[in-house]
Amino acid sequence: MGSVIDYTEGTSFLHKANPVAKLVFALELFVAAFAAQGTIEVLAVLALTICVGVVSQNAQKTFKLVFGFAVLGLILCVVQTLVAPAGQTLFLFITVGGLERGFNVALKTIALALPLLSMLSLMRVEDLMNALVEVAHVPYPYAFTIATVLRFVPVFASEMNHIMEAQMARGVEFDTKNPIKKLQLTMPLIVPLLVSSVKKADASALAAEQRGFYLRNASSAFKRYPLAPSDFALMILGVAVIVVILVFS
Amino acid sequence: MSIIEVQSVSYSYPDSSAHALNELSLSVQEGDFVGIVGPSGAGKSTLALALSGAIPHHFRGNFFGKILVAGMDTCTVALTDISKIVGSVTQDINAQMVASIVEDELLFGLENFAVPHAEIPERITYALETVGIANLRFREIASLSGGQKQKVAIAALLALQPQVMVLDEPTAALDPTSSELIFQTLSELNKTKGITVVVIEQKVGLLAKYCSKIAVMDKGSICAYGSGEEVFSQVDLLQEVGVDVPRCVRVSKGVHELSHQSEYAHLLSEANSAVCDETALSVQSAAKQLACCVGALQHRSISLTEDSQPVATNDVELAGETYLPKIDGPVIAESSGPFDRIGILQDAEQPSVQSVLDVIDATFKYQGSTDGVERVSLSLRPGELVALVGQNGAGKTTLTKLVNGLLRPRSGDIHLKGASCKDWKTSQIAQHVSTLFQNPDYQICKESVLEEIAFGLELKAVSAEDARKKALEVIDRMGLDADASPFMLSRGQRQMVALASVVACEPDILVLDEPTSGLDYKECMQVMNMVKSLCEKGCAVLMVCHDMEVVLDFATRIVVMAHGSVLDDGEVAQIFSADEVLKEAYVEAPQMIQLSKLAGAHVDPSFAGLNSASEVLEALQHQFEIARIAATLNGKEAPRG
Repeated sequence: MGSVIDYTEGTSFLHKANPVAKLVFALELFVAAFAAQGTIEVLAVLALTICVGVVSQNAQKTFKLVFGFAVLGLILCVVQTLVAPAGQTLFLFITVGGLERGFNVALKTIALALPLLSMLSLMRVEDLMNALVEVAHVPYPYAFTIATVLRFVPVFASEMNHIMEAQMARGVEFDTKNPIKKLQLTMPLIVPLLVSSVKKADASALAAEQRGFYLRNASSAFKRYPLAPSDFALMILGVAVIVVILVFS
Repeated sequence: MSIIEVQSVSYSYPDSSAHALNELSLSVQEGDFVGIVGPSGAGKSTLALALSGAIPHHFRGNFFGKILVAGMDTCTVALTDISKIVGSVTQDINAQMVASIVEDELLFGLENFAVPHAEIPERITYALETVGIANLRFREIASLSGGQKQKVAIAALLALQPQVMVLDEPTAALDPTSSELIFQTLSELNKTKGITVVVIEQKVGLLAKYCSKIAVMDKGSICAYGSGEEVFSQVDLLQEVGVDVPRCVRVSKGVHELSHQSEYAHLLSEANSAVCDETALSVQSAAKQLACCVGALQHRSISLTEDSQPVATNDVELAGETYLPKIDGPVIAESSGPFDRIGILQDAEQPSVQSVLDVIDATFKYQGSTDGVERVSLSLRPGELVALVGQNGAGKTTLTKLVNGLLRPRSGDIHLKGASCKDWKTSQIAQHVSTLFQNPDYQICKESVLEEIAFGLELKAVSAEDARKKALEVIDRMGLDADASPFMLSRGQRQMVALASVVACEPDILVLDEPTSGLDYKECMQVMNMVKSLCEKGCAVLMVCHDMEVVLDFATRIVVMAHGSVLDDGEVAQIFSADEVLKEAYVEAPQMIQLSKLAGAHVDPSFAGLNSASEVLEALQHQFEIARIAATLNGKEAPRG
């Protein structure tokens, strides 16, 4: 089973864009969400991010991410509502001001997290790595490390899934509805996951080393990643979003 | 000319005084196809790491001696210089991959080794086409099967045009068909491109079939090295070391011994004796030996070709051996196999026993995929050991997950002890069904063997004190070290720990997913004998297994699966004689079944339906005995030739 950041096949404008331009655009949306003060502005950035996901034929994963972060946002909303009361009291500790702030924090959480993760599923990690080296002049070992981390996320998620399945088959109650108990049960599984992760990381490092990792230089890459006018347009669009948000906030 | 020269190499890992390699010497000639076999902990993987230069460049430790690769001392040149000559594939194929797309995986090495860019497309096409995966060029590696991933790893090496390939257990997680394809690919590369291949492998049948040389390792050294015939003829040595031999070799050894027994030796000519002295590595050559012996004893010429006339039972009677028991259908022995296997008549003897598991018309499909199982029905009675066989992707693992509750059927039902477990939680099902996974590392989570085994019992609501007591009993029975950290044990020992925690729970149903994969012969027997003892206590076992020899030796029933459905369900002899079913499921019958079928049809009907080497040899001994009596009655020595 794939993860939400796995590459989504497609032929959209964003699929064809340079990975560095996509990364910059995602960071610009992040900055815009961060700069947005009011609920309307945050909602606008969030709506734009979702639109980008839909237009780039990645709607399913985008909404999956939205719902995933909505859970986290809801928890933060409750906490914010309780710890920062303001204005008229609705009932008990719930105030209108607290509720508004809580809602804003929840939306902002989603708006901050969504752009980067959503954009990662529109580029292959190898393309991102090579483009970072060629366009952004990131040293290859660092770019390779970033790519490896991203590539291993689904691998480790799958490993964790296998471990949990094996433990459930032994009788460990991962099927409990109590989240605290579930968390307690998950803690001991960190050991086998860690053992397997270290083994995999070492084997991967050896495989890379044996295939000339340390011999690579700036001219090694076979595929080229030049920035096209459309990539500049994408990055300018991101700047425009930030400016608009700053003006309205 | 030798391409690899290992000269008295000793090596111990950091923080360990034990020698993983001990004064090891080995010479690999250019163009050799060398198979390395040995028990767990013999140092096979360490040798592979040393040959590829990972030792001493990546792994530190104490290294003595010298390894020359194409004349270069591996200690004095850089790892990448060695990698230009030797390409290696490690055990964990997923960790070996450095890219997510097949083409990028091949590009990685080519770019790093500064292959001129103009050459790169040609090299990629050449490598993919040679290995036969040109159609996978733009596929996500994560979406490939285990066999395809192995081929990608081989293609990635091939693109770099190495002179030597070193592969560590490339078929460990593959079904027999995929394993055969990998060896075919390696054999083609060896023959047509002249690439020297060194492969570590536990499947002796594949080694015997494809390798020009076999090296047997034990305790860090090479204890036998030579051609397949030379090495596998040393049956006693191999058994002592803990290495399996192809079953045909057992027959061959028995034929040799029988032909040299004083009372029978005079019945064969020198030419026939010479044939009996050969080591047969394949079914065909073992059948030829039987044909040679029986032909000489019965004074007739026997041909094994397809168009030759099968032997009629009357022919045997004409030879004057009417006292022989007539074989009417398959012979079903109760415990005559080499491992004293469980009587396969058990099912017929206990038809009225209540089933402990009923899979009723169960269907399951994975989201967005056609993979899964379709209307599968299956029953399991206490004491049965049912083998689930079929190709990778046939639906075997899905079926086991439906049984242990990790998946729920979309339609149909699963009954445990007569009750539907539709509404049971997985943890409730686990009170009755225990599972031993292919990879023990998914199961092990405690810091000592004792804690690990006791934990399994505590999950079944056994008190901590009783769990500890019971765990110690099992540890004692299985010869484990209670205080050892399971993570530091060998693969085979970790599998034993995982099995021990299952055995301690004494489940009603035990689900085994490839329990012998990656284990050496001794460990395999240890695991299976423990499973067998559980069966004898009334536990019903459902075992996914690709090793048909294990299935033949231990299963009481076989369920054949293909394309998510059950193709056939029946007794071992019945299933292995159903050629069409086996063909459709891409399952190859074990060597002894193939031999008895071939020899039964073309040599003598008394060989038909025999399941083990000892049964075949017993039948051959009858032939010798008849010939001896006939020669005595005729008052003269049987004519030679």
